[in-house]
Amino acid sequence: MKLDEAKILVSDDSILSRKQLKDTIAQWGSPTFVEAANGQEAIEKFKAEKPDLTFLDIVMPVLDGIGAVEGIIAEDSSANIVIVSSVGTQAQLKKAIEAGAKDFIQKPLNADQLRSIIAINFEI
Amino acid sequence: MYTQFFGNFLLSKGAISAEDLVNALHKQSTTFLKLGTLAMHAGLLTSAEVDAIVIMQTHQDKRFGELAIEGGYLTSEQVDELLSSQKPDYLLLGQILIEDGLLTNAQFEDLLQEYQSGNEIYDLDTAHEQKDMVEKLINKFCNFDSTATSEKAISFLSLLFNDIVRFIGKDFTPLNPVLKTEYLTNYCVTQEINGPLTIDAGLDMSKTTAIAFASRYAKEEFTEFDEYVQAALEDFINLHNGLFNVNMSNEHSLELNLCPPMVHEEETLKRDTPIYVFPVIFPFGTVNFLLSF
Repeated sequence: MKLDEAKILVSDDSILSRKQLKDTIAQWGSPTFVEAANGQEAIEKFKAEKPDLTFLDIVMPVLDGIGAVEGIIAEDSSANIVIVSSVGTQAQLKKAIEAGAKDFIQKPLNADQLRSIIAINFEI
Repeated sequence: MYTQFFGNFLLSKGAISAEDLVNALHKQSTTFLKLGTLAMHAGLLTSAEVDAIVIMQTHQDKRFGELAIEGGYLTSEQVDELLSSQKPDYLLLGQILIEDGLLTNAQFEDLLQEYQSGNEIYDLDTAHEQKDMVEKLINKFCNFDSTATSEKAISFLSLLFNDIVRFIGKDFTPLNPVLKTEYLTNYCVTQEINGPLTIDAGLDMSKTTAIAFASRYAKEEFTEFDEYVQAALEDFINLHNGLFNVNMSNEHSLELNLCPPMVHEEETLKRDTPIYVFPVIFPFGTVNFLLSF
Protein backbone atom coordinates (compact mmCIF):
# COMPACT_ATOMS: atom_id res chain seq x y z
CA MET A 1 0.00 0.00 0.00
CA LYS A 2 1.17 3.51 -0.81
CA LEU A 3 1.66 5.87 2.13
CA ASP A 4 -0.70 8.33 0.44
CA GLU A 5 -3.52 5.76 0.62
CA ALA A 6 -2.84 4.79 4.25
CA LYS A 7 -4.80 5.70 7.35
CA ILE A 8 -2.64 6.31 10.41
CA LEU A 9 -3.89 6.67 14.00
CA VAL A 10 -1.77 8.93 16.19
CA SER A 11 -2.51 8.64 19.93
CA ASP A 12 -0.76 10.94 22.38
CA ASP A 13 -2.15 13.23 25.10
CA SER A 14 0.19 15.97 23.88
CA ILE A 15 -1.13 17.93 20.91
CA LEU A 16 2.47 18.97 20.19
CA SER A 17 3.73 15.36 20.07
CA ARG A 18 0.89 14.44 17.72
CA LYS A 19 1.74 17.38 15.48
CA GLN A 20 5.46 16.51 15.45
CA LEU A 21 4.73 12.90 14.52
CA LYS A 22 2.31 13.93 11.75
CA ASP A 23 4.65 16.63 10.40
CA THR A 24 7.55 14.17 10.26
CA ILE A 25 5.52 11.53 8.39
CA ALA A 26 4.08 14.21 6.06
CA GLN A 27 7.60 14.71 4.66
CA TRP A 28 7.28 11.32 2.93
CA GLY A 29 3.64 11.38 1.80
CA SER A 30 0.10 12.43 2.63
CA PRO A 31 -1.70 9.67 4.52
CA THR A 32 -5.01 10.27 6.29
CA PHE A 33 -4.38 10.96 9.98
CA VAL A 34 -6.78 10.13 12.79
CA GLU A 35 -5.97 11.41 16.29
CA ALA A 36 -6.68 10.33 19.86
CA ALA A 37 -5.70 12.06 23.12
CA ASN A 38 -5.93 9.05 25.46
CA GLY A 39 -5.96 5.26 25.40
CA GLN A 40 -9.74 4.91 25.57
CA GLU A 41 -10.22 7.30 22.65
CA ALA A 42 -7.53 5.36 20.73
CA ILE A 43 -9.51 2.11 21.06
CA GLU A 44 -12.73 3.85 19.94
CA LYS A 45 -11.02 5.52 16.97
CA PHE A 46 -9.40 2.22 16.04
CA LYS A 47 -12.78 0.46 15.95
CA ALA A 48 -14.42 3.25 13.96
CA GLU A 49 -11.60 4.03 11.52
CA LYS A 50 -9.70 0.72 11.10
CA PRO A 51 -6.30 2.39 10.59
CA ASP A 52 -3.44 0.61 8.77
CA LEU A 53 -0.92 1.70 11.40
CA THR A 54 -1.41 2.89 14.99
CA PHE A 55 1.05 4.95 17.04
CA LEU A 56 0.50 4.94 20.80
CA ASP A 57 2.13 6.89 23.60
CA ILE A 58 2.38 5.08 26.96
CA VAL A 59 1.78 7.76 29.59
CA MET A 60 -1.75 8.99 28.82
CA PRO A 61 -4.72 9.87 31.04
CA VAL A 62 -7.93 7.79 31.28
CA LEU A 63 -6.28 4.65 29.85
CA ASP A 64 -2.55 4.29 29.24
CA GLY A 65 -0.88 3.03 26.07
CA ILE A 66 -0.42 -0.55 27.27
CA GLY A 67 -4.15 -0.73 28.09
CA ALA A 68 -4.87 0.64 24.63
CA VAL A 69 -2.65 -2.03 22.98
CA GLU A 70 -4.65 -4.71 24.82
CA GLY A 71 -7.98 -3.15 23.80
CA ILE A 72 -6.96 -2.80 20.16
CA ILE A 73 -5.51 -6.33 19.93
CA ALA A 74 -8.76 -7.70 21.44
CA GLU A 75 -10.57 -6.03 18.53
CA ASP A 76 -8.07 -7.05 15.84
CA SER A 77 -5.24 -9.42 16.71
CA SER A 78 -3.29 -8.46 13.58
CA ALA A 79 -3.36 -4.72 14.35
CA ASN A 80 -0.17 -2.92 13.48
CA ILE A 81 0.84 -0.99 16.62
CA VAL A 82 4.00 0.99 17.31
CA ILE A 83 4.68 2.55 20.72
CA VAL A 84 6.24 6.02 20.78
CA SER A 85 7.19 6.89 24.34
CA SER A 86 9.74 8.54 26.60
CA VAL A 87 9.44 5.61 29.03
CA GLY A 88 11.40 2.97 27.13
CA THR A 89 12.26 0.94 30.23
CA GLN A 90 12.72 -2.82 30.16
CA ALA A 91 9.40 -3.37 31.93
CA GLN A 92 7.38 -1.10 29.62
CA LEU A 93 9.00 -2.49 26.50
CA LYS A 94 8.27 -6.04 27.62
CA LYS A 95 4.65 -5.24 28.53
CA ALA A 96 4.04 -3.46 25.21
CA ILE A 97 5.46 -6.25 23.04
CA GLU A 98 3.78 -8.99 25.05
CA ALA A 99 0.47 -7.14 24.67
CA GLY A 100 0.97 -7.15 20.89
CA ALA A 101 2.88 -3.99 19.90
CA LYS A 102 5.18 -4.55 16.91
CA ASP A 103 7.79 -1.90 17.64
CA PHE A 104 8.86 0.69 20.21
CA ILE A 105 10.30 4.14 19.48
CA GLN A 106 12.07 5.93 22.34
CA LYS A 107 11.32 9.67 22.46
CA PRO A 108 12.67 12.19 21.49
CA LEU A 109 11.38 11.26 18.07
CA ASN A 110 14.09 10.21 15.65
CA ALA A 111 13.07 10.84 12.03
CA ASP A 112 15.30 8.05 10.62
CA GLN A 113 13.82 5.45 12.94
CA LEU A 114 10.31 6.63 12.11
CA ARG A 115 11.08 6.56 8.39
CA SER A 116 12.25 2.95 8.56
CA ILE A 117 9.00 1.95 10.32
CA ILE A 118 6.91 3.79 7.71
CA ALA A 119 8.97 2.17 4.93
CA ILE A 120 8.37 -1.34 6.33
CA ASN A 121 4.61 -0.77 6.23
CA PHE A 122 4.06 1.38 3.15
CA GLU A 123 5.53 2.35 -0.19
CA ILE A 124 7.10 5.77 0.05
CA MET B 1 23.29 7.87 32.13
CA TYR B 2 21.78 6.84 28.83
CA THR B 3 19.29 8.28 26.38
CA GLN B 4 17.67 4.90 25.79
CA PHE B 5 17.51 1.34 27.07
CA PHE B 6 19.97 -1.04 25.36
CA GLY B 7 17.14 -3.38 24.30
CA ASN B 8 15.41 -0.50 22.57
CA PHE B 9 18.64 0.42 20.84
CA LEU B 10 18.99 -3.17 19.54
CA LEU B 11 15.41 -3.02 18.23
CA SER B 12 15.96 0.31 16.50
CA LYS B 13 19.12 -1.07 14.85
CA GLY B 14 17.15 -4.07 13.61
CA ALA B 15 19.75 -6.26 15.36
CA ILE B 16 17.08 -8.50 16.91
CA SER B 17 13.31 -8.95 16.67
CA ALA B 18 10.82 -7.82 19.32
CA GLU B 19 10.07 -11.48 20.18
CA ASP B 20 13.77 -12.29 20.66
CA LEU B 21 14.10 -9.31 22.94
CA VAL B 22 11.16 -10.29 25.12
CA ASN B 23 12.43 -13.88 25.36
CA ALA B 24 15.84 -12.59 26.44
CA LEU B 25 14.31 -10.23 29.03
CA HIS B 26 12.48 -13.19 30.55
CA LYS B 27 15.74 -15.03 31.12
CA GLN B 28 17.40 -12.12 32.92
CA SER B 29 16.44 -13.10 36.45
CA THR B 30 17.87 -16.60 36.10
CA THR B 31 21.12 -15.73 34.29
CA PHE B 32 24.41 -14.54 35.77
CA LEU B 33 26.89 -12.25 34.13
CA LYS B 34 30.06 -13.90 32.90
CA LEU B 35 33.55 -12.58 33.39
CA GLY B 36 34.13 -12.47 29.63
CA THR B 37 31.17 -10.12 29.13
CA LEU B 38 32.39 -7.88 31.96
CA ALA B 39 35.96 -7.80 30.62
CA MET B 40 34.77 -6.93 27.14
CA HIS B 41 32.62 -4.12 28.52
CA ALA B 42 35.57 -2.76 30.53
CA GLY B 43 37.69 -2.80 27.38
CA LEU B 44 40.16 -5.30 28.90
CA LEU B 45 39.45 -8.06 26.38
CA THR B 46 38.41 -7.97 22.73
CA SER B 47 35.64 -10.22 21.43
CA ALA B 48 38.31 -12.33 19.66
CA GLU B 49 40.17 -12.84 22.97
CA VAL B 50 36.94 -13.84 24.74
CA ASP B 51 36.24 -16.33 21.94
CA ALA B 52 39.80 -17.73 22.26
CA ILE B 53 39.46 -18.23 26.03
CA VAL B 54 36.03 -19.85 25.61
CA ILE B 55 37.62 -22.33 23.14
CA MET B 56 40.41 -23.03 25.67
CA GLN B 57 37.69 -23.77 28.25
CA THR B 58 36.32 -26.58 26.08
CA HIS B 59 39.72 -28.35 26.34
CA GLN B 60 40.52 -27.67 30.01
CA ASP B 61 38.32 -27.89 33.07
CA LYS B 62 39.15 -24.42 34.35
CA ARG B 63 37.29 -21.23 35.04
CA PHE B 64 37.32 -18.40 32.51
CA GLY B 65 39.21 -16.16 34.97
CA GLU B 66 41.94 -18.72 35.64
CA LEU B 67 42.53 -19.24 31.92
CA ALA B 68 42.54 -15.50 31.27
CA ILE B 69 45.21 -15.00 33.97
CA GLU B 70 47.31 -17.99 32.81
CA GLY B 71 47.15 -16.81 29.23
CA GLY B 72 48.30 -13.34 30.26
CA TYR B 73 45.05 -11.74 29.10
CA LEU B 74 44.13 -10.39 32.54
CA THR B 75 45.90 -9.91 35.89
CA SER B 76 44.33 -11.37 39.03
CA GLU B 77 43.75 -7.79 40.26
CA GLN B 78 41.77 -7.05 37.11
CA VAL B 79 39.67 -10.18 37.62
CA ASP B 80 38.89 -9.16 41.22
CA GLU B 81 38.03 -5.66 40.16
CA LEU B 82 35.72 -6.87 37.38
CA LEU B 83 33.88 -9.20 39.73
CA SER B 84 33.25 -6.43 42.26
CA SER B 85 32.36 -3.72 39.75
CA GLN B 86 28.86 -2.38 39.07
CA LYS B 87 27.09 -4.53 36.50
CA PRO B 88 24.59 -2.71 34.33
CA ASP B 89 21.57 -4.71 33.17
CA TYR B 90 22.25 -4.23 29.49
CA LEU B 91 25.36 -6.45 29.74
CA LEU B 92 23.24 -9.34 30.95
CA LEU B 93 20.82 -8.77 28.09
CA GLY B 94 23.68 -8.85 25.59
CA GLN B 95 25.11 -12.02 27.09
CA ILE B 96 21.74 -13.81 26.87
CA LEU B 97 21.43 -12.84 23.20
CA ILE B 98 24.93 -14.26 22.59
CA GLU B 99 24.08 -17.49 24.42
CA ASP B 100 20.89 -17.79 22.36
CA GLY B 101 22.97 -17.46 19.21
CA LEU B 102 21.24 -14.23 18.17
CA LEU B 103 24.43 -12.17 18.36
CA THR B 104 28.12 -13.09 18.14
CA ASN B 105 30.64 -11.69 20.64
CA ALA B 106 32.01 -9.49 17.87
CA GLN B 107 28.56 -8.12 16.94
CA PHE B 108 27.80 -7.45 20.60
CA GLU B 109 31.12 -5.64 21.00
CA ASP B 110 30.36 -3.39 18.00
CA LEU B 111 26.78 -2.71 19.09
CA LEU B 112 27.85 -1.97 22.66
CA GLN B 113 30.43 0.49 21.40
CA GLU B 114 27.90 2.21 19.19
CA TYR B 115 25.34 2.27 22.02
CA GLN B 116 27.81 3.84 24.42
CA SER B 117 29.17 6.42 22.01
CA GLY B 118 25.77 7.46 20.72
CA ASN B 119 23.57 7.10 23.76
CA GLU B 120 25.66 7.73 26.83
CA ILE B 121 25.64 11.19 28.33
CA TYR B 122 29.10 11.54 29.82
CA ASP B 123 29.05 15.03 31.14
CA LEU B 124 27.44 18.41 30.78
CA ASP B 125 28.26 19.84 27.41
CA THR B 126 28.58 23.39 28.69
CA ALA B 127 31.18 26.04 29.35
CA HIS B 128 33.59 25.23 32.18
CA GLU B 129 32.31 28.00 34.44
CA GLN B 130 28.72 26.91 34.06
CA LYS B 131 29.56 23.26 34.57
CA ASP B 132 31.28 24.27 37.78
CA MET B 133 28.16 26.03 38.97
CA VAL B 134 25.93 23.07 38.21
CA GLU B 135 28.31 20.71 39.99
CA LYS B 136 28.47 22.94 43.07
CA LEU B 137 24.72 23.14 43.09
CA ILE B 138 24.35 19.39 42.86
CA ASN B 139 26.91 18.90 45.64
CA LYS B 140 25.02 21.39 47.76
CA PHE B 141 21.93 19.29 47.23
CA CYS B 142 23.94 16.30 48.38
CA ASN B 143 24.51 18.07 51.72
CA PHE B 144 20.80 18.62 52.18
CA ASP B 145 20.16 14.95 52.40
CA SER B 146 22.50 12.19 53.39
CA THR B 147 20.12 9.26 52.93
CA ALA B 148 20.18 6.65 50.17
CA THR B 149 17.75 8.80 48.17
CA SER B 150 20.47 11.36 47.62
CA GLU B 151 22.30 9.21 45.05
CA LYS B 152 19.12 8.98 42.96
CA ALA B 153 18.45 12.70 43.53
CA ILE B 154 21.90 13.60 42.22
CA SER B 155 21.41 11.33 39.24
CA PHE B 156 18.05 13.02 38.62
CA LEU B 157 19.58 16.51 38.75
CA SER B 158 22.58 15.64 36.56
CA LEU B 159 20.20 14.30 33.93
CA LEU B 160 17.94 17.36 34.32
CA PHE B 161 20.77 19.77 33.56
CA ASN B 162 21.91 17.58 30.68
CA ASP B 163 18.36 17.62 29.31
CA ILE B 164 18.17 21.41 29.68
CA VAL B 165 21.36 21.66 27.59
CA ARG B 166 20.10 19.11 25.10
CA PHE B 167 16.56 20.38 24.57
CA ILE B 168 16.55 24.08 25.58
CA GLY B 169 20.08 25.44 25.35
CA LYS B 170 23.39 26.08 27.08
CA ASP B 171 22.79 29.74 27.85
CA PHE B 172 21.49 29.41 31.40
CA THR B 173 22.64 30.27 34.90
CA PRO B 174 21.51 28.03 37.73
CA LEU B 175 20.97 29.67 41.13
CA ASN B 176 21.14 28.06 44.57
CA PRO B 177 18.17 25.87 45.44
CA VAL B 178 15.63 27.09 47.97
CA LEU B 179 13.74 24.74 50.28
CA LYS B 180 10.00 25.39 50.67
CA THR B 181 7.12 23.74 52.47
CA GLU B 182 4.60 25.51 50.24
CA TYR B 183 5.07 26.96 46.79
CA LEU B 184 2.88 29.46 44.99
CA THR B 185 2.87 28.63 41.29
CA ASN B 186 2.72 30.83 38.24
CA TYR B 187 2.10 28.44 35.29
CA CYS B 188 3.34 25.13 36.57
CA VAL B 189 3.42 21.57 35.22
CA THR B 190 4.26 18.71 37.58
CA GLN B 191 4.57 14.98 37.09
CA GLU B 192 4.79 12.21 39.64
CA ILE B 193 7.18 9.29 39.36
CA ASN B 194 6.22 6.44 41.66
CA GLY B 195 7.10 2.86 42.48
CA PRO B 196 10.10 1.87 44.61
CA LEU B 197 10.98 5.57 44.60
CA THR B 198 8.63 8.58 44.62
CA ILE B 199 9.63 11.84 42.98
CA ASP B 200 7.42 14.79 42.16
CA ALA B 201 9.09 16.96 39.54
CA GLY B 202 7.85 20.12 37.91
CA LEU B 203 8.63 23.35 36.16
CA ASP B 204 7.10 26.73 36.82
CA MET B 205 7.35 30.00 34.88
CA SER B 206 5.40 32.99 33.63
CA LYS B 207 3.34 32.57 30.47
CA THR B 208 5.69 34.87 28.53
CA THR B 209 8.67 32.76 29.57
CA ALA B 210 6.67 29.63 28.68
CA ILE B 211 6.22 30.84 25.07
CA ALA B 212 10.00 31.24 24.67
CA PHE B 213 10.77 27.97 26.50
CA ALA B 214 8.28 26.07 24.31
CA SER B 215 9.65 27.65 21.11
CA ARG B 216 13.11 26.35 21.94
CA TYR B 217 11.88 22.92 22.97
CA ALA B 218 9.68 22.40 19.89
CA LYS B 219 12.12 24.22 17.55
CA GLU B 220 9.16 26.21 16.34
CA GLU B 221 8.33 29.89 16.84
CA PHE B 222 5.31 30.31 19.11
CA THR B 223 3.87 33.81 19.59
CA GLU B 224 1.00 33.22 22.00
CA PHE B 225 0.35 31.11 25.06
CA ASP B 226 -1.71 28.37 23.39
CA GLU B 227 -2.26 24.62 23.75
CA TYR B 228 0.99 23.86 21.88
CA VAL B 229 3.00 25.92 24.38
CA GLN B 230 1.26 24.14 27.26
CA ALA B 231 1.93 20.76 25.63
CA ALA B 232 5.63 21.63 25.16
CA LEU B 233 6.07 22.18 28.91
CA GLU B 234 4.36 18.88 29.62
CA ASP B 235 6.44 17.13 26.94
CA PHE B 236 9.70 18.45 28.41
CA ILE B 237 9.01 17.18 31.92
CA ASN B 238 7.55 13.91 30.59
CA LEU B 239 10.59 13.35 28.36
CA HIS B 240 13.05 14.09 31.16
CA ASN B 241 11.23 11.89 33.68
CA GLY B 242 10.87 9.12 31.10
CA LEU B 243 14.60 9.17 30.43
CA PHE B 244 15.26 9.15 34.19
CA ASN B 245 13.09 6.01 34.46
CA VAL B 246 15.03 4.44 31.58
CA ASN B 247 18.29 5.12 33.42
CA MET B 248 17.01 3.74 36.70
CA SER B 249 15.82 0.61 34.88
CA ASN B 250 19.01 0.29 32.83
CA GLU B 251 21.53 0.87 35.60
CA HIS B 252 19.78 -0.05 38.85
CA SER B 253 17.07 -2.54 37.74
CA LEU B 254 14.58 -0.17 39.34
CA GLU B 255 11.21 -0.11 37.57
CA LEU B 256 9.35 3.17 38.11
CA ASN B 257 5.96 4.40 36.89
CA LEU B 258 5.11 7.75 35.38
CA CYS B 259 1.75 9.50 35.94
CA PRO B 260 0.26 11.89 33.37
CA PRO B 261 1.48 15.51 33.87
CA MET B 262 -0.68 17.93 35.90
CA VAL B 263 -1.14 21.69 35.50
CA HIS B 264 -1.21 24.05 38.50
CA GLU B 265 -2.00 27.64 37.63
CA GLU B 266 -1.62 30.24 40.40
CA GLU B 267 -2.08 27.59 43.01
CA THR B 268 -0.35 26.81 46.31
CA LEU B 269 1.52 23.52 46.01
CA LYS B 270 1.81 21.48 49.18
CA ARG B 271 3.69 18.21 49.41
CA ASP B 272 4.32 15.70 52.20
CA THR B 273 8.04 16.26 51.76
CA PRO B 274 9.89 19.60 51.28
CA ILE B 275 9.91 21.15 47.82
CA TYR B 276 13.33 22.01 46.42
CA VAL B 277 13.12 24.97 44.08
CA PHE B 278 15.94 25.32 41.54
CA PRO B 279 15.75 28.69 39.79
CA VAL B 280 17.44 28.68 36.38
CA ILE B 281 17.89 31.97 34.56
CA PHE B 282 17.67 31.97 30.75
CA PRO B 283 17.97 35.09 28.56
CA PHE B 284 14.19 34.84 27.98
CA GLY B 285 13.20 34.52 31.65
CA THR B 286 13.49 32.43 34.80
CA VAL B 287 12.28 28.87 35.08
CA ASN B 288 11.87 27.30 38.52
CA PHE B 289 12.43 23.56 38.51
CA LEU B 290 10.64 21.91 41.42
CA LEU B 291 11.56 18.67 43.04
CA SER B 292 10.28 16.72 46.03
CA PHE B 293 11.42 13.29 47.10
